[in-house]
Amino acid sequence: MNKLHFKVGLFAAASLLLAAVFIVYLLHARGFFEKTFHLQLAAASADGVAPGVPVVFSGIEIGRVTSLGLNDDGGIIIRTEFLGRNAKWLKENSTFTLDKPIVGGAKIRVDSPDLKAPALPDNATMLLLTSDISKEIPALVARVQAILANVEYLTRKDGDLNTTLANARTVTGRMTGEYGMLEGVLGSPEKARALTDSLEKTRALITRLDGLAAKADQWLFAEKGVADQTRESLAQVRLMLNDAQSSLKKADATMANAVEITDNVKASTQDLVQLRAEIDDAVRKANDLVNEINKKWPFARKPEVKLP
Amino acid sequence: MHFLAASIESLGAKVVGWFTVGYGMFAFLGRAGLLLLEPATWNRATFDVVVKQVYFTAVQILHVFLGYALLISWLIITIILSTARDFGLVEFASEMTIRVLVLELLPFLTALFVALRSGSAINTEVALMQVNNELDALAHCKVPPMQFEFLPRLIGGVVSVVTLAGLAGLLAMLMGYVAIYGANSAGFEPYTQTIAKIFDLKIMAGLIVKCALFGLAVTLIPVTAGLETPKKLFMVPVSVLRGMMRVFFAIVAIEGMSLALKYI
Repeated sequence: MNKLHFKVGLFAAASLLLAAVFIVYLLHARGFFEKTFHLQLAAASADGVAPGVPVVFSGIEIGRVTSLGLNDDGGIIIRTEFLGRNAKWLKENSTFTLDKPIVGGAKIRVDSPDLKAPALPDNATMLLLTSDISKEIPALVARVQAILANVEYLTRKDGDLNTTLANARTVTGRMTGEYGMLEGVLGSPEKARALTDSLEKTRALITRLDGLAAKADQWLFAEKGVADQTRESLAQVRLMLNDAQSSLKKADATMANAVEITDNVKASTQDLVQLRAEIDDAVRKANDLVNEINKKWPFARKPEVKLP
Repeated sequence: MHFLAASIESLGAKVVGWFTVGYGMFAFLGRAGLLLLEPATWNRATFDVVVKQVYFTAVQILHVFLGYALLISWLIITIILSTARDFGLVEFASEMTIRVLVLELLPFLTALFVALRSGSAINTEVALMQVNNELDALAHCKVPPMQFEFLPRLIGGVVSVVTLAGLAGLLAMLMGYVAIYGANSAGFEPYTQTIAKIFDLKIMAGLIVKCALFGLAVTLIPVTAGLETPKKLFMVPVSVLRGMMRVFFAIVAIEGMSLALKYI
């Protein structure tokens, strides 16, 4: 046996075997032994999409863009290709989003919220959404600039904010003084002291007034106080007056009878007419008195002494 | 004025020299190619010499070469991985590893390895044969040197570089997998995906052609350099020196061309 030939033969056989295994592995990896799955994505713009752009599911590449084209209506049709084993991630409720990060290449992201949903058929057409961060940047920058300009205006050297801050510093400085907050508000310790002094006096006055009011309460409105006694005496006056009224009515009736009886005796009635005038006068006075009392009395009625 | 003319003349001489060397090389390659097409070339004797060449160029150095490839791959993979982790780009580490090692660095180093070991030996041997008139003697004995000496060396060189680069590449891919995912099968799917992404038909064909050109460069240039040697013994080292420099430039030119074709 030729040792040299054996070694070369072994080397060649091993190399060929490895090469063959690698080629089979490569063909498997590239999906030569399985069906390819095609999907078309309709997009408004093909900006950033090119053949070779990966389609990723949960961060893992499952397919690629093979070609771009226009349909009859001028829309973009992006053709993608998947290995048969990866097609199971594409469901009817999957969403396709074009991601264009600031760093790194564009990619199409597949989100399948429900993996139990029915699978997409081959050659289906889906909508491609766009989430373009770079397009939002100019608007964002403009807004940030406006905010910064405002901040700059507010914090300028002679600006309101600075003045306010200076004032606040003065006030808080005073607040740390003996009279604290009051000194801060009033501006100097003297004024603060004057205010606290007057407050002290007011407090003493109020205490005294309180005592006075309590005494007055007791004197006026307590049981057997002045108010109660007044009410009782007034009620008595009222009873007396009512009595007077009823006696006057009786006198009135007697008077009428007397006038009727003595109608014929004209000459002798001159004294009676005079008496009548005197009684009338007395009744009017009594009536006036009753009215006067009723006006002052809170439970007013309209008592009247009526004369015949 | 005389100085300017002299320098222009020397530049012209150099350019003519380069063209002569280039022409000699491609003419030799053409003759070898034509010979390869002749059925008479495919005989047992030629095959034996080819086997011998493959043995000396590839099999004899296999363990040393694989150890060397292992070391270089491990170093490069470690550097790429730690840098990728530092910058948060681990997802690109496997692709980077394969691209740098399998497609570029390992074929290049294989060509240099074979050139240093076999190319220099071939150059010296051919130069000595030329100085000692052995080539004329062989031709006289009806043993054409092209068929029995040079062509087997070219074939052996091409086969050796392609095979060695392939083996080193497979080893590097295996090491890359172990370094990135550890010794388990968890990363098989993503790694397969990466490999599938990188090795399309164009890349595979380009890699094989590049390795074949490397193999040709490390044997063809030493043979032609040896054949140019004037029949003086002290010119042999000069011939080897020139041959090895040309081999180096040729390897760099092929690598540069392949990169330009791939990425530009």
